[in-house]
Amino acid sequence: MKRVTALAAAALALVLTACGSSENVTPQANSSSANTQPVSLTDARNKKIDLKAPAAKVVGLEWGVVESVITLGVMPVGVADTKGYTGWVSAEKLDATVKNVGTRGESSVDAIVALDPDLIITTTDESPAAITQMEKAAPVLVIKAADAKNAIPQMKSNFELIAQALGRSEQAKTVLADFDKKVADGKQKIADAGKAGTSYTMADGYKEGSTISIRMFSAGSLLGAVANELGLKNAWPDAGDPSYGLATTDIEGLTKLEDGEFLYIANDGDGGDVFGGDLAQNAIWKNLPFVRSGNVHRLADGIWMFGGPKSTEQFIDATVQAVTS
Amino acid sequence: MTQLTAQRPDELATAPLEPVRRVRVAGVFAIAAAAVVVLAAVHLTQGTSSVNAGDLLRLVIGQGTDNSANVLVASRLPRLLAGMLVGVALGVAGAGLQSLARNPLASPDTLGVNAGAYLAVVTFAAFGVSLPTLPAGGIAFLGGLAAAVLVLGLSAGGTAGPTRLILAGSAVAMALAGVTTLLMLLYKEETVRSFAWGAGTLVQTDLVAVRQMAPIVALGIIAALVLAPKLDILALGDDTASVLGVRVRRTRVWITLVTVMLSAAAVTIAGPVGFVGLVAPVLVRLIAPLVPGLMRHRVLLPLSGIAGILVVLASDVVLRAVLGGQAGVEIPTGIMTMLVGAIVLVWLARRFRDSGPSRQQAGGTGAGLRTLRTFWIVTISLSVLLVGALVFAMLAGDAFLRTGDIANWINGRSGRAITYVLDQRFPRVLSAVLCGAALAIAGATVQAVCRNPLAEPGILGITGGAGLGAVVVLMAVPTAGIWLLSGVAAAAALATFALVYLVSWRGGLSSDRLVLIGVGVSSATTAVITFVIVYTDPWNISLAMTWLSGSTYGRTLPQLIPVAVALVVLTPVIVLARRELDLLALDDDIPRILGVRLERTRLIALVGAALMTAAAVSAIGVVGFVGLVAPHAARALVGGRHARLLPVAALLGAVLVSVADSLGRTVLAPAQIPAGLLTAMIGAPYFVYLLWRTRAVKL
Repeated sequence: MKRVTALAAAALALVLTACGSSENVTPQANSSSANTQPVSLTDARNKKIDLKAPAAKVVGLEWGVVESVITLGVMPVGVADTKGYTGWVSAEKLDATVKNVGTRGESSVDAIVALDPDLIITTTDESPAAITQMEKAAPVLVIKAADAKNAIPQMKSNFELIAQALGRSEQAKTVLADFDKKVADGKQKIADAGKAGTSYTMADGYKEGSTISIRMFSAGSLLGAVANELGLKNAWPDAGDPSYGLATTDIEGLTKLEDGEFLYIANDGDGGDVFGGDLAQNAIWKNLPFVRSGNVHRLADGIWMFGGPKSTEQFIDATVQAVTS
Repeated sequence: MTQLTAQRPDELATAPLEPVRRVRVAGVFAIAAAAVVVLAAVHLTQGTSSVNAGDLLRLVIGQGTDNSANVLVASRLPRLLAGMLVGVALGVAGAGLQSLARNPLASPDTLGVNAGAYLAVVTFAAFGVSLPTLPAGGIAFLGGLAAAVLVLGLSAGGTAGPTRLILAGSAVAMALAGVTTLLMLLYKEETVRSFAWGAGTLVQTDLVAVRQMAPIVALGIIAALVLAPKLDILALGDDTASVLGVRVRRTRVWITLVTVMLSAAAVTIAGPVGFVGLVAPVLVRLIAPLVPGLMRHRVLLPLSGIAGILVVLASDVVLRAVLGGQAGVEIPTGIMTMLVGAIVLVWLARRFRDSGPSRQQAGGTGAGLRTLRTFWIVTISLSVLLVGALVFAMLAGDAFLRTGDIANWINGRSGRAITYVLDQRFPRVLSAVLCGAALAIAGATVQAVCRNPLAEPGILGITGGAGLGAVVVLMAVPTAGIWLLSGVAAAAALATFALVYLVSWRGGLSSDRLVLIGVGVSSATTAVITFVIVYTDPWNISLAMTWLSGSTYGRTLPQLIPVAVALVVLTPVIVLARRELDLLALDDDIPRILGVRLERTRLIALVGAALMTAAAVSAIGVVGFVGLVAPHAARALVGGRHARLLPVAALLGAVLVSVADSLGRTVLAPAQIPAGLLTAMIGAPYFVYLLWRTRAVKL
């Protein structure tokens, strides 16, 4: 029984030694410096959110959200998976001071609360129970993660909603106007190069063991929709899932594709280049029409596929260059 | 000697030495081979491209296109061959391990071999080391071997009895699987779908893996066949075998090496394809009464290999025939083998002859008598420990608080930040404690009623049924409240359990059959949960994590009401039945003689356990291991009387889940580790230690 007694003693010791308090309990003074107008908006849950002032200390739990916040000139105080963000999203850089608040799937409410944010921004993918908890600490703005029926307008309205919460709607107008101009310019360049109507496919892929999975960005995905706007024609026949417009296939499934441009995104820091490396010796891959005609293009690393206007502009640049070169 | 499933000792002893009816045996082989050929032919016509049977036929007569030839060579054949190789390797390995352990529940899955091999491979992948197939196979072999050596060491090379072997095996397997999931969670997040990853898939892009592993599998099979005659003699019992000149220890070492090698080769090719190694030999054993001689190992081993191929190919063919070629990419083959294997197992287990009353106590009989003083010391110590765990849980997190903060919070005097932190931490802490206690009580009850140390709500399909009900509700009604969720989870748990119970009922309830069918159904529910998530919401990682790994993340107080109610209402019912449980744990006859209404008591106790489990599952998802480990530990501490066992088990369960949850929120903060993974990682080593300490006592 010595063992049990020792354990009990240890537990008791723990309880007794960790006394004291880590904060001075003083009545909270109301922050009187209301610098701007109150903000009121309705989020993707149809929930009305009232802020006394535009949010300045923001925590972003999804990378697309984080990118948009930075684009609008606000550096978030906390971001889910900062390391992953740095590896996958190059459109907007994070300051070194930004705190990591956990993984994108289950971020740490403790860590978020410790930052004392004015606003937490997340997407409809977050679990409702976790959102309920976070709401006790700070207002939570929930944006719709994606909508395969309405990809570009969804991205834009998400951006506008975030801008509204930050009190930067004017800036958002400029950014979105630039975005529209980027699309129009890209379309022009593709038309000028005589490539309008070119059939294309956008994909990424990853290898697990000896298994290679390929993820296709259908016409309903954000990148697919943008490429359509540029005057290209998405060759992948299936619609993909209802929110992101993503479909999964294997190498055999690629035989459905006609000749055209094959665009893909890889990440050397995470997963490597499946199409350029692992598939190089594969008989099906080698004989796919676009591989034979040399129309396979790896887009630059760090173009986030589910991002805001700036990531999407990077994609436009990369695509226009790949298709017209 | 303990039998976990119905195989009569006399049958076991004589079957291998029955005369071989060559013609009938050859007939079985011919039928099996024909089935393989047919399935393989169908398998080749399925895929994501438009290449169909006609194209392939044209190819055969020399009129095919390059496209069909490429598809055949670079996609269809690799997948087919991978499936066949995995099937044969796992089938033979499973048969070898079952003979080694003298237990039809032994398999690469249940002995931790697959888990060990897979963890080794994933560890290398997680740290960014991309290995070619052959070294990866070597790593897998070492991982699988390490797990096997640990498991066999704990059971003195298997001589301490099959129950101990399986107990150690499942404990090690769960812990290893926990570590694997954790690694994938931490290092593979960006590439999504991590939860479907570990289920085993046959998608292949070339023949490299197959070509490099084929010689190893062939070597393994030949070695197994060389060992076959010795296995026949070993089946007579260690003493008899020794007398007959078999070096028992050496034979065991060899068969372990061979089976681990085969399992590792399969894992290297396709990941852990579940259940094949368990089901394939069982299939053969089940037709054995019809064909004398099948139990001879020179027949049993190759036939199990073919049965393994059939299980893998049939799963794949059915999946793609029903859901289309695309499904073969989206849904891991391992899910289907688990599902198909489970259904086959249940169907055949039902036809299995009854083994008669089992003479097995709920385990730890050697620790049966302890003084009342010991009980009080243990109970008080555990209560203090629980208070300590609770305080620790409230303090632990991203930022460690101090007890003064909690005092302030209780008195409503804490500052804004601390108030928020503790407000959200409190329901998580409470949910861990309540669910731990509920699962432990349910586990103790189920173990007594089933008189089987392996039995726990998870193994009887109750946990899986509840989880499945909850996931389906969430998919259909994403805004469902906790009562709808709990209600459906409870209904599904009861329905699943009723299914297990009714299917197992054949003029009486054999606890062996109950467990065997329970294992089948519970695997099926796990497979279906994964299937539902992969099919309807493939990118929703957090949902999957909650329901497959058990997480307190985002719990709020209202979500805890069902489990609290279940504890308050059902605990007295089970406590009232404590004496009946004592008797039930002994055997079937004594309770009858003493006038206990056996079936009624059983049913009430099991329904109580099912409801309690369902409440816990709807609060924090599927948490394994607590229901298994807590009652065992309690029995070791205070003996087998339920008046003492139940409170101690409940305390242990609460402490276990609470500590697991605290660590999950702290160790890698701000990243959050699901509590269920940590209960396996904390509970399993303790359980292993328990087995090690009591290795002189026959379980």
